[in-house]
Amino acid sequence: MLKIKGINKNLVLVFENGSFEEYTAFLENKFKDNKQLFNGSKVLFTGKGLNFLSHEQIAALQRLCLDHGMILNNSEANLHKTQNRDVVIYRNLRSGQKIRSEGSVIVWGNVHESAEIMAAQDIIVLGKLEGVAHAGFYGDSSSIIFALSLSPTQIRIGNKISRSPKDQVKNPYPEIAYLEEDTICIKEYNPNNNLTRMKIL
Amino acid sequence: MEKKTAESQVIVVTSGKGGVGKTTTVANVSASLSKMGYKTVVIDLDIGLKKLDLILGLENRVIYDIVQVIEGECTLRQALVKDKRFPGLYLLPAAQTRNKDEITPEQVKKICEHLKSDFDFILIDCPAGIEQGFRNAVGAADKAIVVTNPEISAVRDADRIIGLLESAQFKEIKLIINRYQTNMVKKGDMLSIDDLLEHLCIDLLGVVPEDSNVIISTNKGEPIVLNGHSKAAISFNNIALRLTGKEVEFPSFEEESLWNKLKSLGRNIFPGK
Repeated sequence: MLKIKGINKNLVLVFENGSFEEYTAFLENKFKDNKQLFNGSKVLFTGKGLNFLSHEQIAALQRLCLDHGMILNNSEANLHKTQNRDVVIYRNLRSGQKIRSEGSVIVWGNVHESAEIMAAQDIIVLGKLEGVAHAGFYGDSSSIIFALSLSPTQIRIGNKISRSPKDQVKNPYPEIAYLEEDTICIKEYNPNNNLTRMKIL
Repeated sequence: MEKKTAESQVIVVTSGKGGVGKTTTVANVSASLSKMGYKTVVIDLDIGLKKLDLILGLENRVIYDIVQVIEGECTLRQALVKDKRFPGLYLLPAAQTRNKDEITPEQVKKICEHLKSDFDFILIDCPAGIEQGFRNAVGAADKAIVVTNPEISAVRDADRIIGLLESAQFKEIKLIINRYQTNMVKKGDMLSIDDLLEHLCIDLLGVVPEDSNVIISTNKGEPIVLNGHSKAAISFNNIALRLTGKEVEFPSFEEESLWNKLKSLGRNIFPGK
């Protein structure tokens, strides 16, 4: 009913379907759970759900955000500019090298141990991923991490962290990491499974 | 002795991690190059922790050092120490009482430009680490040799160094694997050559097997290539040959089995069969 996405240093609240009370309860819960993430962030309201709210209700929701230390940022222009902040890398990322993107990151090469990738959206590695990858670092929990060979030291999606098991098996097929009910899951990449559906929403 | 080639090569030998054998490599490869008749100079840039003069056995002949050259206390020619055992091998020593941040990459570059007119090979011994000392050593060179050991900590640092060299626009970065132990690799206790190459994704320049003769020759201050038919000496000679542009096959590093030894013995005794 309400989605929180991170786009270009903005927290974007996408109102889908729901009532004012539901939105309020949802946001209060979220804000309580994760004070650091929200405190000081710029917030932007968007989505069809807003059409069904009165001005007073929207103002009340904005007040709620302000009370939790957020800054209102109501220009959608900011959003559109950010649509293409993706970074494409045509080399190996070696130990100590760090890539940060406000969009997605695509690496045509390997990501070695102790290299780091941070992306506000997805991370796609067309090679081995052995370093640290953080997708959706503004808290977008629909972000995914894909690699032809996925054996990272650590992966983070949104605000969840998962580290590799001690005796990691290197699977010879492409794998994808995603968030399912607050747990980072890894499975073999299959274009027909429901991950794509997850992303469209 | 005269310079042989038109184009001088300035090669930095680096590793990130300390103790993997940078200085030993510089000493032996340069000695081997000069034995082949190339005019070679080695520059010790590990200012404050110098060891190259020690390993070459030239410590007692050092008069001036590179910092004094830069500060104008002496000329470059005065500071160069000639190695009497090898024709055409010279050392530009480091200062032990000074500090790495007392010189800049530009100053090292200027020294190398001067040396180019006289020498075929200029080898720079880089200090461990990625700070000022590393920048000084890398700034002047156009080729790089990364030395690593087949262990994970050295490989990690080598990877970091290769990344830094790549961002410094180095075109030619080559790998030397030092202290390789075939029997440990066979047992699966050590990273193999293929593992290392697959991980680091650069070209191999040479593999030097673990050899206790290296410690003996280091303590004596004599490069092992001086009188060596030891495994390490052969490897260093091969590395030097490859630097001069010759193709040298990589030996298999397989320990010869008793059966093969007997067979070759048999062939020697009965050459007809």
